[in-house]
Amino acid sequence: MEFEMERFISALFDRSPPHAVEHLQLVLIPLTIAFIIAFPTAVLLTRRRFIKYTDRVMTFFNMGQTIPPLAVIAIFFPFLGLGRTPALFALTIYALLPIARNTLAGLKGVPQDVKEAARGMGMSEWEMLFKVEIPLSMPVVMAGVKISVVLTSGTAALGALVGGGGMGAVIFAGIDFFRAELIIAGTLIIGVIAIVLDRLLTVIDNILTPPHMKT
Amino acid sequence: MIKLDKVDKVFPGTTVPAVDQVSFQVDEGNICVFVGPSGCGKTTILRMINRLVEPTGGDIYIKGQKVSDKGVNPDYLRREIGYVIQQIGLMPHRTIEQNVALVPRLLKWPEDKIKPRVKHLLEMVGLEPDEVAQKYPHQLSGGMMQRVGVARALAADPPIMLMDEPFGAVDPIVRGRLQDEFLRLQKEMKKTICFVTHDINEAIKMGDHIVIMNKGRLVQHGTPMEILSNPADEFVKDLIGSDREIKLLELTRSEEIVEHTDEIPEVVNKKDCFIQAIDPVQRALETMMKKDSDLVGVRDGESFIGTISWEDIKKHINRISGDQA
Repeated sequence: MEFEMERFISALFDRSPPHAVEHLQLVLIPLTIAFIIAFPTAVLLTRRRFIKYTDRVMTFFNMGQTIPPLAVIAIFFPFLGLGRTPALFALTIYALLPIARNTLAGLKGVPQDVKEAARGMGMSEWEMLFKVEIPLSMPVVMAGVKISVVLTSGTAALGALVGGGGMGAVIFAGIDFFRAELIIAGTLIIGVIAIVLDRLLTVIDNILTPPHMKT
Repeated sequence: MIKLDKVDKVFPGTTVPAVDQVSFQVDEGNICVFVGPSGCGKTTILRMINRLVEPTGGDIYIKGQKVSDKGVNPDYLRREIGYVIQQIGLMPHRTIEQNVALVPRLLKWPEDKIKPRVKHLLEMVGLEPDEVAQKYPHQLSGGMMQRVGVARALAADPPIMLMDEPFGAVDPIVRGRLQDEFLRLQKEMKKTICFVTHDINEAIKMGDHIVIMNKGRLVQHGTPMEILSNPADEFVKDLIGSDREIKLLELTRSEEIVEHTDEIPEVVNKKDCFIQAIDPVQRALETMMKKDSDLVGVRDGESFIGTISWEDIKKHINRISGDQA
């Protein structure tokens, strides 16, 4: 395979940008949906009434990550067909686990004595959750979201295989036509997307992290 | 004020009751200390009073109202009861000011009432409001955190306080000081307090009334004097320890055993060997040793009222401890 600088620049600046926008959508939409599903579910699983379902639900989330996204698409192909929808669906399932697992860990990590005192002071279960448990577990939750972001950024490249678009389209074109420029340009942009999103989340994380936990 | 009537607690998955048929009463304005080895059920009793634990049998009343009544919301109940625990449990993500203001905010006090209240409370527990109010708990020392814990429990001026080894996490010197300060506060506040400790000395020092627990059962209850002078069984004797007589001397005021006389014996005058009538007899003993005398003079303020001799103290110990040696 040969490498031409001119082609590389063109791949990077002419061909990639529309795909980068698609790729960003393939990361952010599943991530948002995954958060909306995983975070409240994990919170519920730490409530006394639902604690007995924790293992079962977490097994489901675990499966979501062990099954390759392509297999998910294959399984749901009869219902969802090809294109963007199945790609978004598979990536959402893939992103669930780190968020759910870290939310659980974060809530379980809230010091027992703080919870005991909060209850003893007369905080209701809701007040405990919103004023004590969620604020104190935020750093761990955000760590989970970051793992999901980085994971999804890479995996989203597979979306192109089912017609979902994204940077994968550029990379796979490169593989098909033996064009190293396309492969490298695509990979580079995925890397940049992952890093930028991670940095962005770090900023949010810093705002949400309670002052005593900041280093 | 607080009444327990045959209260039982069997935790799920166990057969041995953690609390077994316990009945007693705490009078208004008193400090009632629960003392016993770990696992004796003293903390469980405390947590049943504010319904952090629900009893499996018997009834608990506060001011004649059954706490387990359907109409009583446990969260609202707890807001009316101060709660201090050994681990303190300050909210690490909230400033000291926000921590102390926790219950008033839950009770929806107006903000302009909360600020001065927090300031007053911090001063009351011996902290400098301007210095600590905006700090976070991890920036304070253990002793200071304990003080904040007490201030937080007092914030909404609850008539009842539950304190579970509140001074257990600090070193003995700080603990002694916190105990003294708390007793001084209590003189003005006159709260009804349930206090849990495993330290019999703390119990004797803090308690108006002591409840001794073992294996979920109430073994003996009474004033410190009653318990020291008349331990119910071997367990209580062991708990009190071998220095029972010394502890008795700490609890007896010198005026109770003074031999009244108007004349100041020469030896007392020469060695300048005097104590005050309200001093504990233990002080008389210390003074005797320090001044190398068998006799101390007792004064009430400036006026001389009598003497205490080594023989008087021995007789007193024998009489009160019941050992007719």
